[in-house]
Amino acid sequence: MARVIGSLFVFFIPGAVLAVEEPFWLPPSEAYSVLAPQTAAKAFVEIPLGPPEEQFIQYPDRPAPHVPPRKDKLTFYPCSQCHEYWETIPEPRKLLPVHDVGLVHGQGRLWCLVCHDPDDRDHLRTVRGDKVDFNDAWRVCGQCHSNRQKDWYYGAHGKRVSTWDGEPTRYNCTHCHNPHRPPIIQRKPQPKPPVRAGLEPMQRQVRHHQTVWEQHSAKREEVRHD
Amino acid sequence: MTEKAKLEQTEDNTDLARRHFLKRLGMVGATGVATATGVAKAVNQPAWGGSSMLDALGDFFQDHYVRMTDQEKQDALERIQRKAKRKFGVDITCEETKPIPGTYFGYALNISKCRGYRECVEGCIRENNQGRDSQVQYIRVLEMNDGDHNLEHSDHYYDPETVPTEGKWYLPVQCMQCDNPPCVKACPVEATWLDDDGIVVIDYNWCIGCRMCMAACPYWARHFNWTEPQIPPEALNPVTNYLGNRPRMKGVVEKCHFCTQRTRKGRQPACMEACPTGARVFGNLLDPNSEIRYILENKTVFRLKEELGTEPKFWYYTDEARARS
Repeated sequence: MARVIGSLFVFFIPGAVLAVEEPFWLPPSEAYSVLAPQTAAKAFVEIPLGPPEEQFIQYPDRPAPHVPPRKDKLTFYPCSQCHEYWETIPEPRKLLPVHDVGLVHGQGRLWCLVCHDPDDRDHLRTVRGDKVDFNDAWRVCGQCHSNRQKDWYYGAHGKRVSTWDGEPTRYNCTHCHNPHRPPIIQRKPQPKPPVRAGLEPMQRQVRHHQTVWEQHSAKREEVRHD
Repeated sequence: MTEKAKLEQTEDNTDLARRHFLKRLGMVGATGVATATGVAKAVNQPAWGGSSMLDALGDFFQDHYVRMTDQEKQDALERIQRKAKRKFGVDITCEETKPIPGTYFGYALNISKCRGYRECVEGCIRENNQGRDSQVQYIRVLEMNDGDHNLEHSDHYYDPETVPTEGKWYLPVQCMQCDNPPCVKACPVEATWLDDDGIVVIDYNWCIGCRMCMAACPYWARHFNWTEPQIPPEALNPVTNYLGNRPRMKGVVEKCHFCTQRTRKGRQPACMEACPTGARVFGNLLDPNSEIRYILENKTVFRLKEELGTEPKFWYYTDEARARS
């Protein structure tokens, strides 16, 4: 019965969850739970699935935001086009240049198959082994970045699209952050404001002022010398 | 020439000047009569400062926005459209957007996420038809030193090759839409007021350009049009409203109005839409499920110059849930 209600629930939240094939959804009342603690280092080792109640689906008081689909923007998608014919090698190794994504995420602690499903290459996976659609990448990111995920879920992080009111549509994590190279790169700013004709830009007073901690450490130094 | 003759000459001149004046007055009167008799063609010629005489008179006798009847408002809007057509050669729509009942707007900005790209400034200029040559920009992105929140040490003319710069953080400042707005108190003609949805708006036609509000504003949010705003016609945003982004004239004060032409129809303000990092959050303070309410309830927020008691409705927050001790 719970499964039936769960599938109904899927139909009522379009966008974010429609594309997910695995019907592991549950009604909202049972939905909230915390993921079992896992260690990332052992992540690509197969971990048996726990009961479905442990799956994070949504926070109890609010449905998940709609997420604009991203699969159509992925260069190599569907990945199974190639990977269907290749054997999956679970050991970390240097990738061929054609597929070298320059993985720096996690500073060497992560490997492809932590987030990509080894058995179904067109899906991501959680640490526990649940399949996650590429359009729902935020569910994968949130396993480690749970604080950010919560902020994103409720609207304190991430970019909302089109309206300020009503059901939110918010860009996925992977829209702004490259999942393989997450830091946002620097770039040129827009031009600086003009100065009214006949005037010079105001000269900035260049003077060194002590920050709070500089003052603090200076005081501490004095005390130490005394 | 004797002294007496000189005096007579002067008197003659004065007389002549008076006669010329009366003659001109008579001509104006005659034009008025011509209008009355239906010769509208002559008065619709754009000779009155680029505007027809009827429009110039209509502008001159236009009442305060709050006191105008619906018909008068409609006339005023049509005048604005005709004026823009004459000045820019562009068909614009100007409408009256009323506050949505049950909304009270607030803004939150994540300073952990602002990278100083100035995309919001650019989006605002385009959306709000700001003069491209003048100094009028509603948003100032201040570059601050790390560990320092003294606004006097900030720099908004920063222009490095790439941002964010190491050792700096960025603080965008715009109209705070104070709930206790000092600018409104300072205006001697009540040309600016706090609207029902919490936005401080300006009736540009009623503004006399005395700049008292600019002196009163502690946030440097108000800007004066010293010159006729220069906007390339192809860059003019044709979707305008009366209290918001319609083309302004020389000699009036303007400021951020939370994009009333957009937000009162459910769209996001232009700065929020332009922000590439999603640092800006706009919403209804009365809606307990809104994102801004979540931020106010769960994040450490601060407002600029809070001690002045202006009650700004513009909060800054960081990614940290609580301030680090």
